[in-house]
Amino acid sequence: MRLSRSKRALLHFVALVYVVLLTFPLVLMFLNSVRSEGEIMQAPVGVPGNVTGENFDEIFGASTFMVNLRNSFVVAGITVCLTLAVTAPAGYAMSRFRFRGKGLFSVWLLATQAFPGIIMVLGVFAVFRVYKLLNTHTGLIVMHTSFSMPFSIWLLKGYFDRIPVALEEAAMIDGCSHARALTRVILPLAVPGLLAVATFSFLLSWNEFFFALIITRDELLFTLPVFLSRFLGTGGLVRWGPLSAAALLATLPALLLFMLGQRYLVSGLTGGAVK
Amino acid sequence: MPPASVNGFREERRALPFLVPTLLIMGAINLYPFLNGMVRSLHSFRILSQDFTFTGIRNFQLLLQDELFIRAFVNSLVWVATCVSAQFVLALILALVLNSKELIARRVFRSLVLIPWATPPVVVALTWRYMLAEQGPLNAMLSALGIAHPPSWLLDPGVALWACIMVTVWMNIPFMTVMLLAGLQSVERSLYEAAAIDGASFLQTLFRITLPVMKKIVLIVVTLMSIWTFNMFDIVFVLTRGGPGNATLTLPLFAYQNAFFYYQLGYAAAVGIVIMACLLVLIVLYVREVLE
Repeated sequence: MRLSRSKRALLHFVALVYVVLLTFPLVLMFLNSVRSEGEIMQAPVGVPGNVTGENFDEIFGASTFMVNLRNSFVVAGITVCLTLAVTAPAGYAMSRFRFRGKGLFSVWLLATQAFPGIIMVLGVFAVFRVYKLLNTHTGLIVMHTSFSMPFSIWLLKGYFDRIPVALEEAAMIDGCSHARALTRVILPLAVPGLLAVATFSFLLSWNEFFFALIITRDELLFTLPVFLSRFLGTGGLVRWGPLSAAALLATLPALLLFMLGQRYLVSGLTGGAVK
Repeated sequence: MPPASVNGFREERRALPFLVPTLLIMGAINLYPFLNGMVRSLHSFRILSQDFTFTGIRNFQLLLQDELFIRAFVNSLVWVATCVSAQFVLALILALVLNSKELIARRVFRSLVLIPWATPPVVVALTWRYMLAEQGPLNAMLSALGIAHPPSWLLDPGVALWACIMVTVWMNIPFMTVMLLAGLQSVERSLYEAAAIDGASFLQTLFRITLPVMKKIVLIVVTLMSIWTFNMFDIVFVLTRGGPGNATLTLPLFAYQNAFFYYQLGYAAAVGIVIMACLLVLIVLYVREVLE
């Protein structure tokens, strides 16, 4: 059924309106990164008159930005590795074995995604104090990993379910253990699932704010979200030029990864919910 | 088939090594903190005085008498209900548009509208703090359109909560759209053709065929989104910190303030329990729907 001319025009108009509304604010914000403070004050909406690098100079030279950028990469990178290392076997066990408490474990995994951070944070504080993980990247990494695990296990279980058991059985007749069958046979076939998990856990860690704010106290340990919120300050005059430059640099890696991993992430997210 | 009676714990013994790392991490910083929070909510617990005494449900009784809590509670309800319903309607429209085969450059449109999702929430909040500032771009544009006194979005207590809601809706539209789009694509074409032959209008088709067929994904995405929105902290924290005059104070911010400014940890934990209780129905719905 083809639409009439006017309906097609309306369709494209609506799509355009959405695109403009959903991207325009970010475009404006990021343009500020190459505008001088004075220019931003005078004309909040505007194309850069004199493109300036002063905001970037300031961010790189006069702030802890570079350290915090590195922190974000380290924390998110290790979170991805740890998440993959822990959730691949767990997803495998969920997919291939029957064990008592499996139903309860599934419910727990799903329900934990709904736990309010504030309940967790007090207990986490107690645990971290005992193990000296407060104000450390290790603490933050373990925390982020625990956040990405439930969804990742669930997603990988779904991927493993779709790989025929016959493949491992053949490998195991040849003398492979379950663990070897997993690494040699199953994981290579589940690469899209692993990429979905990697994208998901990287973005989760890169973006996470609440626990980063609470666990890290030393500004040289901050990740970018905490750096940005600190740079904003509490009330008073906000220096939008440098802030926009930092915000742009904090967004680019996430945006790039999102564009690369989008396909896997989306099919992973919707895979369980749509048949 | 009961495996245990035949094999003893054979399957368990095989599964356990694969699960140990997960159980350790989740046990230490998920299950334990959760139970710990439950216990704490029944205690008066202040970090400074190291006072930790069992007070039963006293924290909850105090909450009910706390006007600020009531305020945060009401704000949270308004916040979740408005955010999720607005997101749903706006995302559904966008998903329907993107699902149309007649849209030129669908992929390009789809990638572009996902950008807010790929942006860190703190950057989203900063961007909108700039957009909504008193002398910011939005008000500059409104003035240019001849509106003499545009609102002070984040400073006017009557407007600030709605401004926060708008920003959250803006940020969450992409995720919801992707989920709904996947749902739309799972609807068989033959159903639409049958409806067209019967002369069903667009809205009739939508409400009688499309939405009922994708009921599962709609339920999952709405429950999940409500849970996330209820627990959301960063947007409001960066935009307004709960102000002006507590106009945008939601329960997570209220709990945060009690825990980290007033060091009333037991009280804050009690707020967490209240949040859990509010979410319980949604959690049950969500888990049931996914496990089915």
